[in-house]
Amino acid sequence: MAAPMSSVGKPSAERSPFNNTSFQKKTRSKLISIPGTRPSVQNGQLLVSTGVTSLDYLLGGGLAVGTVLLIEEDRYDSYSRMILKYFLAEGVVCRHELYVAAAQDNPDDILQELPAPILDDVAMHKPAEQPRLSREPPDALDAMKIAWRYQNLPKVQTALASSSRFGHYYDVSKTMEPEIRQAAKCHRFYLPEHPTQSSPPHSTMLESYSALLKSLQEVINREGFDVAAPMSNSRNILRIGLHSLGSALWGDDLCCHDNPKNGRALTTFLYGLRALLRSSLSVAVVTLPSHLIQDRAIMGSITRLCDNAIALESFKGSERETNPLYKDYHGLIHVRQVPHLNCLASKLPDHKDLAFKLKRKQFSIERLHLPPDLSDTVSRVSRGELAGATTVASACGSGSSGNKHLDF
Amino acid sequence: MLPELLQGVDTGGLLVIQDSASYSGRHLLQSFINAALNREEAVHVLGFEVSEEELKDGLRGSPVQRLHFHNAYTDPLGWTDHPAFTVHQFCLGELTRLVKQTSHSKPAILVIDSLSWILRHVSTPDVCRTLQQLRKGGAVRSIIGLLHADMHQRGTVGSVCHSATSVITVEPAMRGDEAVAKITKRSKSGKVIQDEEIFRIKDDLTVLVQSKSSKGAKKADSEEQETDPTANLTFNLRLSDTEREAKQKLALPFVFSKAKKTALLHSGPGSGRIHYEPDANDDYDQEDPDDDLDV
Repeated sequence: MAAPMSSVGKPSAERSPFNNTSFQKKTRSKLISIPGTRPSVQNGQLLVSTGVTSLDYLLGGGLAVGTVLLIEEDRYDSYSRMILKYFLAEGVVCRHELYVAAAQDNPDDILQELPAPILDDVAMHKPAEQPRLSREPPDALDAMKIAWRYQNLPKVQTALASSSRFGHYYDVSKTMEPEIRQAAKCHRFYLPEHPTQSSPPHSTMLESYSALLKSLQEVINREGFDVAAPMSNSRNILRIGLHSLGSALWGDDLCCHDNPKNGRALTTFLYGLRALLRSSLSVAVVTLPSHLIQDRAIMGSITRLCDNAIALESFKGSERETNPLYKDYHGLIHVRQVPHLNCLASKLPDHKDLAFKLKRKQFSIERLHLPPDLSDTVSRVSRGELAGATTVASACGSGSSGNKHLDF
Repeated sequence: MLPELLQGVDTGGLLVIQDSASYSGRHLLQSFINAALNREEAVHVLGFEVSEEELKDGLRGSPVQRLHFHNAYTDPLGWTDHPAFTVHQFCLGELTRLVKQTSHSKPAILVIDSLSWILRHVSTPDVCRTLQQLRKGGAVRSIIGLLHADMHQRGTVGSVCHSATSVITVEPAMRGDEAVAKITKRSKSGKVIQDEEIFRIKDDLTVLVQSKSSKGAKKADSEEQETDPTANLTFNLRLSDTEREAKQKLALPFVFSKAKKTALLHSGPGSGRIHYEPDANDDYDQEDPDDDLDV
C-alpha cells in the first residue's frame, strides 16, 4: 500500500501542530500533513495513534493509515472494548472523523463511554486556556501564597500528559465531556436499525456484512476520504471501529457451530474491508470474540486477512487469577501478526511474553517480569530441613543435597 | 450473590441457568419463578419441556394468579391443526403480542424452559437476535432461560452466554441435596463479578446458601478509610478559629506587594522561559518501589 501521496505544488505553509520548533525541513513535501498523524520512522508510512501509547510502540510506532487492526476479545469483552474506546477517543482529540458499527450495543452508548483525555497542552475546546492577564481578580494571586512565581505555568502532569501530540493519555475513571465529543463528527451503524433483506442465494457474504460494507463505502465516498478524490487542502482520517464482528448478533454462525455454514462470510467481508481501506484515508479496528470460534483454520485465515492482530487474554475468571506470578497484571497480550506493508518482512516485537495492566491513567503493556520473591524462606534454612540433611550428609556425602544446608 | 439475583434481575437483563445431566436446574428455575411471583410481578413461562401441571405442581405455595403458562409442551412443532404455541413462534412480534395480551401494566418477566429446545429447531443467530430484541423492546422486563449445556456445542453455549448479563452454572456438590452454583455477573459498567456458592433449595422453593466455596471469595475494592492523623495525640494539632485568623494575618518574610508580584510574574520580553517536557524518567510510580528494577 502506498502512503497517500499528493502532488502539492508548494510546501505546506502553516506550521504543523505537532512541531514545537520553528524549524521546517525544506523539502517539496509530498506527504499530506493531517493533524494527529506522523510519518513512520521505519518506512515513511503515515501513522495514526491507537490511543494507547504502549500499543503504538508494539505495532511499530502506530497504526498505518489504510490498515486493519484485529483485536481478539478477552472472555468478558472488557479490555478489548476499552481499547476500542481509546481508539475512538484518540480520534476525537485529534479531530478525525469516527465511524462506529455495533450489533449488540447502540453506538451512541459506546460513544458516551469514551474516557476523558488528560488535557495538558491540547489546546482545543478548552475555553479557559488564555494566559492570565493582569486584570485578574486578586483572589487568584492569593491562591499561591508562597510559590506565587509558579502560578502562570501550566500544571505539569508527571503521568506523561502528551508533549508530542501523537499519543494522548486518558483518564479512565472519567468520561469525555459532551462538548468535546460532539465537536467530532461520528457516523453510526447499528445493525437492528437496518432491516435485513434477503441475500442473493449464491453470495458468500451475509446481509448484515454487505449492508455494513455498503454503508462504509458510501460514507467514504461522500465525505471525501477516497484517495482518488480531488485534492483539497483539508484532508482528514476516518477512524472505523467495528465492535464484536462475527458474533451471533451479526447473524453469523461462525461462533456458534464447529462447522459453520457461513464460514467464509466474515473472511469475505474482511477482504472487502481491506480493499476499501487501502484506497482511502482510513484506519479500522475490529474486535472479534475469538474465544467462541472453534475452527482454528478459519481463525488463522481471519488473522492473515488483517494487517495487525493482537489477542487479549484476561485473567479474570481463569485459574491464573490467583497465580502469584500474574498478580500485578490484568492479562496477557499476544501479538499474532505485525504488518508488512510494501516490504517482505517486518520488525517483530522482541519479547513474546507481554502482559497488560489497566491503570487509571494509562493502559500499559509490559514485558512480564516476575515479582520479587519476598517470602521468608528464600534465603533462610528451616531447622527441620537442616536436621534431616545432616544425617544424609554423614551417610553418603553427596554434594547436591548437602550443599544447600552447609552451615558455617 | 445468589440471593441478590433472586431479588430481581435488572431491567433488560438476561439470566441463563446452565445445567447438565448430573444436576437439573429446573428447581432453581422454579425458585426464581417463585421469588418473582412473591414480588408481585407477572411471569410468563414458555414451557417446552414440562407440562403445565408439573410446573404448577412444583409451585404449590406461591400465588399463581400472575403466572401465565404458554403451553408449548403438547405440540411444539405444529403437527396438529391447532397448536397452542410452536417453536416457530419464537420471534419478537409473536412474543410481544403474547406477553401484551395477558399482561398488566408493568412489563413482565419471561421465563423460557428451555432454551435448549428452541436452539435445536431455530438457528442460534436468530435466537440470539430475538433475545436481544426482546430485551431492548419494552414488553418484557427481563428474561430467565434454562440451558442444558451438554446438549450443544461449545460455541453455541458460549454465544448465548456471551450476550447474557448473568450466567449461573449449577453442578452437584458433595452432599446429595446441595449443589454448587458458579455465578458470573456483568454489570452495565463492564465490571465482571464472579462467585461460587453452595446452596440448597428447600421445600417451599426458597434458596438457602450454605457457604461460599473457598475459590470464589471475591476481592472487593474497599475505599481506604481516611484516618484523622490529628486524633489520639498527646498534644493539640488542631487550630481554633482565632488561631487560624492570626495565622492568615502573619506576614511572611519574602512576600511582596501585589504590584511587585504582577510585575515579576508577567515578565517583559527577553527573560527566559522554562519549557519542561516530561520524559520516561518522570513516569516513576510512587506506590511501586520496584518500578525501576530491571529484572
